[in-house]
Amino acid sequence: MNAASPSILAALSPSDNEELAQRRAVLAEIDASCRGPLLFLFSGSIIWLLVGTVFALLASLKLHNPEYLANYSWLTFGRVRPAHLNAVIYGFASEAAIGVTLWLMCRLCRTPLLFGWIINAAGVFWNLGVTIGVVAILAGDSTGIEWLEIPPYATPILFVSYALIAVWGVITFRFRREKHLYVSQWYLLAALFWFPWIYSAAQILLVLDPVRGTVQAAVNWWFAHNVLGLWFTPIGLASIYYFIPKVLGKPVYNYSLSVLGFWSLALFYNWNGMHHLVGGPMPAWLITVSIVASVMMTIPVITVGINHHLTMWGSFRELKTSPVLRFMVFGGMSYTLTSLHGIALALRSVSEVTHFTHSTIAHSHQGMYAFFTMVMFGAIYYIMPRVLQVDWPSARLIRVHFWAVAIGILLYVFPLIVGGTLEGMAMTNPDVPFVDAVKPSVVSLTLPYLKTRSYSGMLIFLGHLAFAISFGWIVLRWAQAGRLARLKTSLARV
Amino acid sequence: MSVLWILFVCSLVVLPGIALLAFRWAMRQGEFRHLEKTALSIFDDDEPVGQTTDCFPGGQRGKKPAPTRPPNPISRPRLPEA
Repeated sequence: MNAASPSILAALSPSDNEELAQRRAVLAEIDASCRGPLLFLFSGSIIWLLVGTVFALLASLKLHNPEYLANYSWLTFGRVRPAHLNAVIYGFASEAAIGVTLWLMCRLCRTPLLFGWIINAAGVFWNLGVTIGVVAILAGDSTGIEWLEIPPYATPILFVSYALIAVWGVITFRFRREKHLYVSQWYLLAALFWFPWIYSAAQILLVLDPVRGTVQAAVNWWFAHNVLGLWFTPIGLASIYYFIPKVLGKPVYNYSLSVLGFWSLALFYNWNGMHHLVGGPMPAWLITVSIVASVMMTIPVITVGINHHLTMWGSFRELKTSPVLRFMVFGGMSYTLTSLHGIALALRSVSEVTHFTHSTIAHSHQGMYAFFTMVMFGAIYYIMPRVLQVDWPSARLIRVHFWAVAIGILLYVFPLIVGGTLEGMAMTNPDVPFVDAVKPSVVSLTLPYLKTRSYSGMLIFLGHLAFAISFGWIVLRWAQAGRLARLKTSLARV
Repeated sequence: MSVLWILFVCSLVVLPGIALLAFRWAMRQGEFRHLEKTALSIFDDDEPVGQTTDCFPGGQRGKKPAPTRPPNPISRPRLPEA
């Protein structure tokens, strides 16, 4: 535990605590206090990133090469694909998001990391929960509910771990030494509150005491869409709102707009999920409400877009020198694009064609990868050298990482959107057969796009390897620097 | 379909309701009064406005970017008194 940490009891009512009257902590002090928990969380998330990418590649290869590894029941498509989803969503993305949230919360509250042991315990439980979950999915124990495949004996572990983090977040917020609440902090606090809400509601309604019939689908999509919109999106946007101004040394273009963006997201986003059920056996008004809410998302999307892009305006030459900025700007641009695309996909006439096609997969990867994951990469590139007080070892590895994943994800998303749309048009056309030995069919039409996806996946995997090597190397450098420093002091004593 | 109503109330009424309460709290705290100051709250003497804070390893950190448009009239963030 940090020496400066107050007791938990004092943390519950900090109002008359002398800690509050203290000066704002120095940035270097804050960074150093985050070292242990962040090293743990980021290492875990990078391991899950590699594992998840391998599952992704297997799943992608199986789509155009069904005989590949088909005789191993643990590696059938129906198990590998949910294993990929859960490894990257709960293993990689959530863990990286938690790490970045901790660091941002500490910096924005101007307080060193309090109660590091809460975070370490939460991290251990989180990794344990995800490991049990992914192994169970591979063993055939999946619940079969999309985004909630982790079986009911592993989810309580995840939930306990998450609760610890949320409690930590509240304590840190109450001990803040910064008067002003920056917009990133709004997003982070909201995400910390929203995730347990949607996760527990969905668990209760779908796994513990399942509702019946089509309502299951409604709950399922309410949850799946809100994980993106109320957990990952706020943390991604909070990071962009902090890092772009911070790296450029330039305040955000229009702060009032950012406040408007946050509150409109808070009010509208939660209604969006039902647009996945267009055409399904659901009350039409429910879907219509959802479509209206989806279109209302233009307000937060455009305000956020204006702020990101106009803060960058005139500083594009910085992209040449700053790796963090490259990832952040790529993520910011993808956010604008993917959100506008998503709004279009929610409309009934568009959904009619693109629903149940690969276009949806392309869209979700554009949001989760081209936006969120890129932002997390940028954030880790910014945070690690400050936390460890060691520079990244190789500029070349960072460049390889950036170009491999940037080209990889563009090659993934855009061909697949086109392929998925063509697939949808073929599926709504009664003259085109689904499978046919001779005539062009829906299946033969999508094959080239699926193969492109596998190639792009290999490129992305290469980028991830470069990132993992970079990360291992900087940790090694830090360990060596520490050892050297200790050696020097002991020599000086002699 | 009665479950649907529970879901409807839980998600579509309670969540935005809490958001509205949080908004009221923020209004009363005066969070929306000094927006420009809040935008500057992430900068301080260590990392002031006008100084870049990231570059590729081996490059020069903390270089002042070439002015591409008139400099920001607020050259320094005003820190709250310690």
